[in-house]
Amino acid sequence: MKKLIPVLSLLCAMQAAHAAPRVFVTNEVGDSVSVIDAGTNKVTATIAVGKRPRGIGVAPDGGAIYVAVSGENHIAVIDPTSLAVLRTFPSGDDPETFAVHPNGNLYISNEEDAKASVFNPATGERVAEIKVGIEPEGVAVSADGIRAVVTSESTNMLHIIAIPEHKIVANILVGARPRAASFSADGTLAYATSEISGEVKKVDVASGKIVGKMPLADDKAKPKDILPSRDGKQLYVAGGRADRVFVLDEQTLEILHEVPVGKRVWGLALNKDGSRLYTTDGASDQVSVIDTVAHKVVATVPVGKMPWGIVVVE
Amino acid sequence: MSHHTPHRRFPPRPSHQPGRTTWLRLCFLLLCATAAASAQALEVKLAFLGETDSAAHRGAMQGLAEAQAQGEFLGLTYSLNAIAPGSALPADTSAVVVAAPAATLEAAVAAHTGVPVLNAVLVEDALRRQCRPNLFHTQASTEMRRDAEAQWQKANPAGPAARAQVWHPDFTRYAAAQLNKRYRDTFNEAMTDEAWAGWAAVKLVSDTVAREQTAEAATLLSALRGRLAFDGQKGVDLSFRADGQLRQPLLLVVDRALAGEAPVRGVADIEDLDSLGRIECQP
Repeated sequence: MKKLIPVLSLLCAMQAAHAAPRVFVTNEVGDSVSVIDAGTNKVTATIAVGKRPRGIGVAPDGGAIYVAVSGENHIAVIDPTSLAVLRTFPSGDDPETFAVHPNGNLYISNEEDAKASVFNPATGERVAEIKVGIEPEGVAVSADGIRAVVTSESTNMLHIIAIPEHKIVANILVGARPRAASFSADGTLAYATSEISGEVKKVDVASGKIVGKMPLADDKAKPKDILPSRDGKQLYVAGGRADRVFVLDEQTLEILHEVPVGKRVWGLALNKDGSRLYTTDGASDQVSVIDTVAHKVVATVPVGKMPWGIVVVE
Repeated sequence: MSHHTPHRRFPPRPSHQPGRTTWLRLCFLLLCATAAASAQALEVKLAFLGETDSAAHRGAMQGLAEAQAQGEFLGLTYSLNAIAPGSALPADTSAVVVAAPAATLEAAVAAHTGVPVLNAVLVEDALRRQCRPNLFHTQASTEMRRDAEAQWQKANPAGPAARAQVWHPDFTRYAAAQLNKRYRDTFNEAMTDEAWAGWAAVKLVSDTVAREQTAEAATLLSALRGRLAFDGQKGVDLSFRADGQLRQPLLLVVDRALAGEAPVRGVADIEDLDSLGRIECQP
C-alpha cells in the first residue's frame, strides 16, 4: 500500500497537469464568476464575488485569479483550486479592466479618476499611478513587460507607458471611444478598437504611429475586445452590437471571416494553443466557444447575467 | 571669498572675439529655441456668445476642461472667451458657441462667415432650414423632438405622452453616467439639455482641432461639415446634417423620469438617426 501512494500521487499530479483548461467568466449583472470546464463546456462552479464584477485576470504562475469588482471598488483574489475568495484589496474607484504584468503586478484603469494604477496584488500596495485621459478603459501589458497601453475612451487616445519608469512615451489619437487594446506577441505592435467610430487601429509601439486602420464594414458593430491569434496572423475582434466575432488579417486588417455569436459580444479569450476562442455574449447570458480553424461556434455555454470579462486558466 | 574663481562645471573657454564656432553655437541655440517654441502648445481660442451664468456656458466650460485634458497630451491649449453681441471676435478665434436669441445668433452667423458658429439652445426649425454654411446646431430641433415623441406614442399607444430631450441627468448608458458625474462634480447641479449642447459644441470643435492638428477656422468648418464620428456619450457616432443639425438620439421623459430612447426600437431602426426631424434644407 505504501508503495502505491507515490504512484497514486504521481498519477494525480499527472491528472491535474492534464486536466482540461477552465474558463473563468465575470457576470456583471449576476455579481458572480462562472467557471467552465473547457473539456465538457459545462459550468462546474459559480462564485459570488460582489457587485458588478468586470475585468478578470490570472497570476503569471496560475496561482490566483483576480477580479475587478467595480461596484465595490476593489480587486477580489480567488484561489483557483478551492474557488474561494481569499481576500480583496482596494483598487481606487470603479475598477474596470486590468492587465497582469509578467512580474505579477496589476495595471488597472480607474475610469472616474483619469488614472491608471499599478498594484502589487500580494500586498495590495499601489506601486505607481499614471495620469491618463478621461474615462480610461482598456489596459494591456506587453509579454516582455516593458510597455503598457491604456485607452482613454472620452479623450480618444491610446497612451503607451514605459515600464518600469511608468512614464507615458506616446499619446496616439484614435477614433471615438477606444475601448480595448492588446499587444502582438513580440510587443512591437498594439491593436485597439474604437467603439463609436467602429474601427480597428494598428500602432507601431516604438514610433507611436498608426500603421493600419480599418472600419468594420457593419456599422452596427461597436467593437470591444481585440486579440491576435497565437500565430500572430489574424486578429479577433468582438463585434458588440453586430453579434459576431470578426476575424481580420493581421497584415491588411481585411475581414477574413465573420463568426455569428450571441448578442452584444464583448469579451474574448484564447486557450494556450490558440485552437479555441471564448467570447462573452453579454445580452445572451452565454459564452460561445469558437473553433479557430473552422471559424465556427462549437458550443454555447449558459452562464450568469451579462457576462463581461473572460480568461482561460490552464 | 568672492575674489576666488567660482567653481566651474566645465573648463573655461578662451574668451576672444566671436569666431565661427561661436556663431554656429548661437545658430544652434536659436534653432533649438525655435524648435522648442513650435513644439509648445498650439493655442485654440473659442468664443462664447450669451449669458455666462447659464447652463449652456457651464456645459461649454465642462467641454473646455475635457478639451484641455486631451490637449495636455497633444500640445494644445484652449480658451473660452465670452463676447458681447455685435462685438468683433478676438483674432484667430476658431469657433463660436452661442446661447442667445435668434437675432443675435443670426447676426453672428452673418458677421463671422468662415468661422463655425454652434447654436446650443435654440430649437426653431426655421434656423435649420436656412442651411447657413457656418451654422451648426447641437441642440435638437422642434421637429426632431416631435418625431421622437410620435415614435414613442406609436410604440406605447396606451401609455402616457413623453417629452423628448437631448439629455437627462439620470441617463447612465453608454458612459452617460460618467459625463453626468463629471458635470455634477464640477457644478454641483444636474446636467440639462442646454448644458449637454454647450458641452457637445466645445467637444465637437476640440475633437476636430485634435484630429486636424489646426486651429484655423476655415479648416475646422469644412471638417465639421465632413465625415464625423463624434462621441456624444449617447452610444452612437454623431455627425452634422447638411442643414447643420447634429443628428443624435433623443431621450424620452415621462413625469421627469427617463422612459426611453429615440429612435424607438420596434417603430424605427434604432440606428436611423435621420428618422428624427427633417433633413432637407428648403422650407
